[in-house]
Amino acid sequence: MKKILAIAIVVLAAATLFVSCAKKGSNELVIQSYMSDEAPKAAFQVLADQFTKENPKIKVTINTTAHEQYKSQLMNYLTAKEAPDVLTWFAGFRMQQYAMKGLLEPLDKAWDNTQFPAAFKTASSYNGKVYFMPQSWYWWSVYYNKDVFAKLKLATPKTWDDFLAVCAALRKAGIEPIAIGAKDTWTAGGWFDYMDVAVNGGPFHQDLTAGKVAYTDPKVVNTFNYIADLSKKGYFMKNAASYSWQEAATLMFDGKAGMYLMGQFIKDVAPANKKDSIDWFRFPLVGSNTAYGVDTPFDGFMVPAKAKNKENALKFIAFLARKDTQESFNKSLGRLSSNQNVPVPNADAQRGLDMVKGATTAMQFYDRDAPEEMASKGMDAIVEIINTPAKAADILAALDKERVRIYAAVQ
Amino acid sequence: MKKTESPGVKLAKKTLFYVVATLLVMTWLLPLVIGVFTSLKSMDELMADPVMWRPPKVLHWENFVDTWNKAGMGRYIINTFIVTVPSVVGALLVSSLAAFALAFYRFKGSRFILITFVAGMLIPFQMLMIPVFRMSNAIGIDDSWAGVMLFHMAFQLGFCTFFMRNFMKQIPISQIEAPRIDGAGEFTIYSKIILPLSLPSLAALGVLEFTWIWNDLLWSLVLLRTDALKTVTLGLANMQGEFISRYNLTAAGSIIAALAPLAVFLFFQRWFIEGLTMGADKG
Amino acid sequence: MQSLRRRRLDFAPWAFLALPLAMYLVWVIVPIFESFAFAFTKRDSIIYGAVWVGLDNFKRLLGDGQFWLAIKNNFAWLLFFVLIPVPLGLLVAMLFNSGYKGDKLFKTLFYLPMTLSFTIIGTIWMWIYNPDFGALNTFLRSLGLGDIAVQWLGDRRYMTGALIAVGIWRQVPYVMILYLAGLQGVPPELVEASLIDGANAWQRFRRVILPLLMPATVVAVTISVIDSLRAFDIVYVMTNTKARAAEVLASYMYSSSFAFSDYGYGSAIAVVQFLITLVFILVYVNDVLKKEDAR
Repeated sequence: MKKILAIAIVVLAAATLFVSCAKKGSNELVIQSYMSDEAPKAAFQVLADQFTKENPKIKVTINTTAHEQYKSQLMNYLTAKEAPDVLTWFAGFRMQQYAMKGLLEPLDKAWDNTQFPAAFKTASSYNGKVYFMPQSWYWWSVYYNKDVFAKLKLATPKTWDDFLAVCAALRKAGIEPIAIGAKDTWTAGGWFDYMDVAVNGGPFHQDLTAGKVAYTDPKVVNTFNYIADLSKKGYFMKNAASYSWQEAATLMFDGKAGMYLMGQFIKDVAPANKKDSIDWFRFPLVGSNTAYGVDTPFDGFMVPAKAKNKENALKFIAFLARKDTQESFNKSLGRLSSNQNVPVPNADAQRGLDMVKGATTAMQFYDRDAPEEMASKGMDAIVEIINTPAKAADILAALDKERVRIYAAVQ
Repeated sequence: MKKTESPGVKLAKKTLFYVVATLLVMTWLLPLVIGVFTSLKSMDELMADPVMWRPPKVLHWENFVDTWNKAGMGRYIINTFIVTVPSVVGALLVSSLAAFALAFYRFKGSRFILITFVAGMLIPFQMLMIPVFRMSNAIGIDDSWAGVMLFHMAFQLGFCTFFMRNFMKQIPISQIEAPRIDGAGEFTIYSKIILPLSLPSLAALGVLEFTWIWNDLLWSLVLLRTDALKTVTLGLANMQGEFISRYNLTAAGSIIAALAPLAVFLFFQRWFIEGLTMGADKG
Repeated sequence: MQSLRRRRLDFAPWAFLALPLAMYLVWVIVPIFESFAFAFTKRDSIIYGAVWVGLDNFKRLLGDGQFWLAIKNNFAWLLFFVLIPVPLGLLVAMLFNSGYKGDKLFKTLFYLPMTLSFTIIGTIWMWIYNPDFGALNTFLRSLGLGDIAVQWLGDRRYMTGALIAVGIWRQVPYVMILYLAGLQGVPPELVEASLIDGANAWQRFRRVILPLLMPATVVAVTISVIDSLRAFDIVYVMTNTKARAAEVLASYMYSSSFAFSDYGYGSAIAVVQFLITLVFILVYVNDVLKKEDAR
């Protein structure tokens, strides 16, 4: 027995010692990242390596956590005593809330007005100070399989009626018209943003995500009727709610589904030999509207106020803002750089940029513009409507009760 | 005086037992079989044939090699051992102290302490996540193995103490009275007599604790943020984000992650039921 | 001499308890009370200095349909966890305990699901439940039952049922082990005695074995009740706590706290869950202690 006790004590002591030795040294830079997909992870690693080359004395560590879990731990990252130095995040409502509560370090020292358009500065600031360093941005649009469209001699639709006709043709050919991996409910958030702006216009939609309009408002009901109608006609892929966004994307890459309303990052997960058969078009216009909106989320970085190595963090942030680093990251991923001096990486991104420039409404995304709880319940409701369109009215009534409760609590 | 059965009836009963038992085990383990088959198929085969329980046509062992290399499974597994083994040993030893006190001494408050341990073992553990993170952070043991190990040891004390105490209650009180009269110290009685007598239940408990701590996901998520320290369940979660549409790789990774608790269970299983017998149900 | 020994015996239990109690206090008991305190504070205010709101969070709970749905789902878990795994686990234990050669192998194999992590269990069952290529629907279609081959996890109506089924699959081996342990305490002579009485198998089981297994049944039922009230991992892994229809108290607590940063509200949910569980815990512990006193 004594032996076991002795062994146990030795093991414990050794482990504790080992751990305390492994504690970080002084000249470090610790980055928490949610880029767990292969392509962005690799592109970010390239930047880190370059930073190490330029600053050989700083030891860079990147810790990657899957997106959903990262979000659940963000508060811990922000409030820890020896907080990480740099965090991946996105512009929007929540970033500004953290800034308001004093959890973020101002980045004005690393900010250079010649690098970014004024609109980006506004989106990255709170109360006159910059708290967010935008790195890349992209657009949401309707991606489609070119080979499938060519085979069926389909043109990309401009209007809602065209769109319905394309859906009908795809359905007739035995191809799922619209892919959507609704197990990840956020995929439905894109439909909500685009459909509502197309039907009711941008200002109305912004009031809705700000909690000022009821989900039972006839205009909102009208938006959801369009979605319910697609579902009733069988245009959404069957069993959508059982697939993750990547699984649904695979269906489109393989030509089993025709179209997919998705962010540009869908290209990250396309196999190399399929990348060229995937293209996109602007979300169709509804009725007589000619104005349109786009989802253009900004991704970037923030620095916790309690970061352990602030100096290194700001150095890295300034590094990330540079033309060459933004170009390196975004070129390989085909995204747009926030730094305005970076040339657009390719013709595809140029089209994306033109689309965004022509839009009258730019949104981050439903779950970035609205409080998380509202967006989470709203997106779940959309998936439910896609599943059971006949119940749309009940689902929206329940959702509006949540809206009242949630916005009352946020105030 | 036994009622005798004809050999025919005996044979029929025996056959029935084997048939029913085999069918039952096969049905119950079907999900695991599907997991193993999936890990050995190519993606093409998986997509072409929806019959998941059909064995793979060609064994694609390279799925395991792929996952091992791409997801860095080796490091995760070593990390998990480093966290799990001391946590299990520590939880068993510390709880055996408490169990000994609660089983063999009559004193004021013993019942209250027992109930406290039991209540703590049954709480919805998510409610501890914020306070434990903040406390660990305040004393500087967050994002370290020591922090995770200490937490596991402490958190498992409730179950271990209750379980061990029930086991020790079965040991006749004379076992400790006799040496006491001979002048043995209390700690000697604990370490020389009671602990050795409790080995079967320690083994059973060790198996249970090993599987629980090895498979823990949320506490590693909360308490570890440095990649180099993370445990295998976190690695698996990252991997699923990366390879979500490649079911064969996900399955292979899952199997690699499951091997250690499986081996521990198989190795200790002969003590497992015995040890549980006296611990779990006589209370 | 006598008094010295007495004093030593008075002191000894506390010496043994010092380390375990200290650890338990720091990592479990104090955090539980902290969590109780959070339940009376506003949203994320614990991080920036608590703002007390009294019973507001609990009042909000009463009017929150999602909370009542979580309670309803938890009770569905409870009902099925008592009704199915307990008798089924007993049946399996009786079968495997029959003493034929190789029964140990069956016991071992049957227990394997318990050794797997929920991440793995969730992944495999998600494939089984997949509406298009999943094993379950492939099987149903092969029987000509294509009509009931639905989206088990995608359709909000079937989701909780599908998750409970996975829970049961994992719980039956657990209950079996508890009963196998209990069966070891059943003296074979008693069983034989009833044989002489000419009792048939069913009577023997009902009149002799079942009463002897009463303690094991109490444990099995208690554990199943508590596991069902604490159900979380399967819901978390298989829905990523995104599907509101399958929400149980623990998962709603988790999403409120960690996805919506409403720690006060999340803690209030945890308190309610704790109180419900505590009722069952106290009934059980009371039963255990009463039996010991009677001995």
